[in-house]
Amino acid sequence: MKADAFARRQPVSHVLLAVATLLAVFPLFWMMTTAFTPNELVLTKAFRFWPDEPSLANFRKAFSEQPVGAWLVNSLVIASLVTLGKLAIAFPAGFAFAHLRFAGREWLFRAIIATMAFPVAIGIVPLYVGVSLTGWYDTRAGVIVPSIAYVGFYVFFARQAFKTLPPEMFEAARLDNAGPFRQFFQIALPNVLPAVASLAVVSFMGAWNIYLWALLVLDSPEKRTLAIGLKAFTSLDDVEPLWGPMMAVALLSALPVLVLFAFAQRFIMAAFSGKVGA
Amino acid sequence: MTRARVRTAMTMLAPYLLTGPAIVFVAVFLYAPVLFSVGLSFSDWNFIHPEARFVGLDNYAQVLGDPYFREAAWNTALYCIVLIPAQIVIPLALAALLLRVGESRAGRIYKPLLFLPTILAYSTAGIAWLWLFDPLNGFLNTVLTTLGHAPSRWYTDPDLALWTVAIVTFWKTFGLNMLLFLAALVSIPKDILEAATIDKAGPFTRFRTIELPLISPTFFFVAVTTSFGVLDDIVGVIDVLTGGGPYGSSTNILYYMFERGLKYFQFGQASAASVIIIVLVLAVTWAQFRLLERKVHYES
Repeated sequence: MKADAFARRQPVSHVLLAVATLLAVFPLFWMMTTAFTPNELVLTKAFRFWPDEPSLANFRKAFSEQPVGAWLVNSLVIASLVTLGKLAIAFPAGFAFAHLRFAGREWLFRAIIATMAFPVAIGIVPLYVGVSLTGWYDTRAGVIVPSIAYVGFYVFFARQAFKTLPPEMFEAARLDNAGPFRQFFQIALPNVLPAVASLAVVSFMGAWNIYLWALLVLDSPEKRTLAIGLKAFTSLDDVEPLWGPMMAVALLSALPVLVLFAFAQRFIMAAFSGKVGA
Repeated sequence: MTRARVRTAMTMLAPYLLTGPAIVFVAVFLYAPVLFSVGLSFSDWNFIHPEARFVGLDNYAQVLGDPYFREAAWNTALYCIVLIPAQIVIPLALAALLLRVGESRAGRIYKPLLFLPTILAYSTAGIAWLWLFDPLNGFLNTVLTTLGHAPSRWYTDPDLALWTVAIVTFWKTFGLNMLLFLAALVSIPKDILEAATIDKAGPFTRFRTIELPLISPTFFFVAVTTSFGVLDDIVGVIDVLTGGGPYGSSTNILYYMFERGLKYFQFGQASAASVIIIVLVLAVTWAQFRLLERKVHYES
């Protein structure tokens, strides 16, 4: 009874949360308003919370100055393939670690999980040399394949999801002569689809945002992704950058993840708060 | 008969076929590069003279003697001192507040909006703030001058650059810890909280004596992941916002390594820096496990 009572009337909590929320959202709001304000007006020092005449001029300017369309396609292709790759290797492994017995299971699992602690850039020098020597420099494969390797969290999460399934499920299947692969594809996988969705969304958002590695590997302007292409608008030393078009591209790069977040919030929250199978 | 034997063989092999791809990827793209880094750190190999020579500890001596590295190391310590407590205390406070407003209509709005910055790319986050901080026409300087203050140089000021990077990094990352804490707080059984309310424990006492101990496993997890993140998360923000400058005032050791290796192609020195980073990360992790794990109450 009291537990609900203290949840309802909390004026101080509401004020503090409202202030925090405004601070969190304001930079995004400012990005959006700048994107729709003609660039001449952007550079006048005045408070303008929303343009009188919203315009798409910044978007047109951005598309005509840089291959933004190609960046969008590259981002989509790279994020999708990284996601597919991660799911394709993480779920079979998660299943084996959860329900099969084999020599070396514990330490193989630990070796994979331990990579969660690796700073992302730690092996970047040898990797860069490797990519340069194998001819993957300035290709999508050069960005995609090494990025798939960060699966520590995914294997862990997949294993947790499979562990929620009772072992009896698989014993019954074994009596029916179903081998491990059939157990995985026909019984295990269909029962953890919410976990697959969670990891797919999280992986897509992560891959959409790959920055440092893409910056190193992708060189030609038309091969860049949105995340790294954005920088092209800043590197005009001395001259004041084109803030309007820059915010337009920033907004474009944020839009897919914002939309994904709006529609798949449940799965994202589940993955980030470690709640499996929700 | 043979069919049965094939089946048994498949059952024996299956676990390795299922885990194999993950193991190969992790081994080739994560473990091998780290091992190569260790090797490279003792050699003078690079694209210009591809015949590697063993140079002992030369690279380490050069890195440790480099004033720019010392600046980066000092900054890394500053980032840790500022960001780790902030990334734990503020998200915990927000999670506690979210728990209190519960499922009221407004309560359901705060959570996703507070989480929004976390889903953005570092470059998007960096660029949104680059514009807010812009010394010429940025929003923050417009506010300052309107209030009658002198405009600030923000990320172009060597005394402020590090703080601007810290602010953007915090903004971009606090949402994740907030969610983790909230998930832990929500899972505390209601009857325990009710008992405390009946005992007339004030909200702060209740939080300190009941909720905090009960979520200590999450607290431990957050403390560990946050201290890993503080190295990583900053790098993208540094690159967009300041490029480590002005005069190295906002760089950190990971960004130092990145610049040595991939801007100046000093692979030996970059690798030496990365080995130093690995040793530091291991030391910090070990210390945390020793210090914190004793205080964690796991439910049985």
